[in-house]
Amino acid sequence: MDQLFVQRRRRELLLAACLASVATIVPLFVKDVYVQNIMILTLMYAALSQSWNILSGYCGQISLGHALYFGLGAYTTALLFTKFGVLPWFGMVAGGVISAAIAMALGYPCFRLRGHYFVIATIVIAEIALLLFQNWDYAGAALGIDIPVRRDSWLTFQFARSKLPYFYFALALAAVAWFVTWWLEDSKWGYWWRAVKDNPDAAESLGVVVFNSKMGAAAVSAFLVAVGGGFYAQFVSYIDPESVMGFQFSLLMALPAVLGGIGTLWGPMLGAVILIPLTELTRSFIGGSGRGVDLIVYGTLIVLISLARPQGLVGLFSRAKKAVAR
Amino acid sequence: MTVLLETRSVTQRFSGLVANSDVSISVGRGEIVGLIGPNGAGKSTLFNLIAGVYRPSEGSIWFDGEDITRLPAAERCRRGIGRTFQVVKSFETMSVIDNVIVGALVRTTHMRDARRKAHEVLGFTGLAARADVPASDLVPAEKRRLEVARALATSPKLLLLDEVLTGLTPAEAQTGVELVRRVRETGVTVLMVEHVMEIVMPLVDRAIVLDLGKVLVEGKPSDVVRNPKVITAYLGDRHAVSA
Repeated sequence: MDQLFVQRRRRELLLAACLASVATIVPLFVKDVYVQNIMILTLMYAALSQSWNILSGYCGQISLGHALYFGLGAYTTALLFTKFGVLPWFGMVAGGVISAAIAMALGYPCFRLRGHYFVIATIVIAEIALLLFQNWDYAGAALGIDIPVRRDSWLTFQFARSKLPYFYFALALAAVAWFVTWWLEDSKWGYWWRAVKDNPDAAESLGVVVFNSKMGAAAVSAFLVAVGGGFYAQFVSYIDPESVMGFQFSLLMALPAVLGGIGTLWGPMLGAVILIPLTELTRSFIGGSGRGVDLIVYGTLIVLISLARPQGLVGLFSRAKKAVAR
Repeated sequence: MTVLLETRSVTQRFSGLVANSDVSISVGRGEIVGLIGPNGAGKSTLFNLIAGVYRPSEGSIWFDGEDITRLPAAERCRRGIGRTFQVVKSFETMSVIDNVIVGALVRTTHMRDARRKAHEVLGFTGLAARADVPASDLVPAEKRRLEVARALATSPKLLLLDEVLTGLTPAEAQTGVELVRRVRETGVTVLMVEHVMEIVMPLVDRAIVLDLGKVLVEGKPSDVVRNPKVITAYLGDRHAVSA
């Protein structure tokens, strides 16, 4: 029985390695910049959603305020780079650490709330942060920060001519987020988180310190999302509060996981691969006047999923497997 | 026999309602003690005070020679108190084995050890064949056993059982009784709350009867069932006279 479990874990790792290898060579054949752009965004949202999934999927603390950590990562990286000349690599780590610290500071009061109250608190806090940044003159207030473009370099992580470096970074980030999830899944933390999600009282009676479990999940989740934010700042080289801390980012982190399968290892990846290209394509087909059509697409997908497969699309695969086994 | 658990003059009030009043009981190492009484006697409250769900309004609780009155539930588990819930609280999205692994992780951080311990406990409780099934697929009797398995995985010194035998068919209840006996044989002390007397009486070494939040009678099961006070508490005055 243990043998089977170990085999399954290895198979997952192997599958991930294969997918990552395939993804590595894809841009060598796909030269179209527009398509490359979509692939970068897909990988970035896959990474973000995978990170969101740690707190909200595994630990069950649904956050609709993760835009806060995304924005903090973007702003930390951009501010350190433009004001102090700190390389974005360090900026991303600094943003991650700051976000993790803030996630825990906010978790201290918020993790006492249960269910819907917690969700509402996360939305409100992210909106407050958005307002603060819109009025913070040092950080450019509502105008934001323009990151001056210099020579193409891995050091400053700026590339004007090629999108490939961004692609590989986004791929690495998605791989790291996946691997962290895979690794935590079969650890004390992973078990504690799922126990907390399913039944906090029972978890407590089995020696799980519920509060600490939530704090741990929040810190890991916020750290990874902030690194994604730092990457995004360098990628678009211009940020303002609305474009990195707006509510839509919180949604775009939650939706792929919900679509693919919340609290599952592959759900966020699968969800992002379907959702993000779909959004980008509808946006470009309908053009500037079609603002909001992408949201209609999300809405429709979510309704369909919740009617047909409430556990997410990943459930389809396991059902197919079961059918084969029978 | 040394004392493992002791409550000293424990009183618990819920906004005016006195659920437990001046309750002093003790449980010796290796004993099976039944905590019984009619509905509303305060059994569940006392149980939850010992498990750490509430802090008593007055009095103290001692376990293994230490005052645990103020300790949270998770810390009590670490010290060696395992419990089950009257209304089963399985981790529904997790498999049976994963449910039990959560319990085992309080003693180790190595997943391999936790997994081994979980398999061992599932074998002991007769759930080995169901290890990979989602907990939500278990039938009620199996869920009760899973509650026990999870608590046993924490390697408790004291196992608190909250009505694990209630509502089972006679055959299932018999299996449960045997399980509790085997648990005691492994050196675990058992304190069990039961509402239905005829199930627990043959099983326990000693019975404590609560009524209206106080200890009414305690002693050997055979004496307790014949005690007029107990009969009155359960059935009313009329029956006590005829007894």
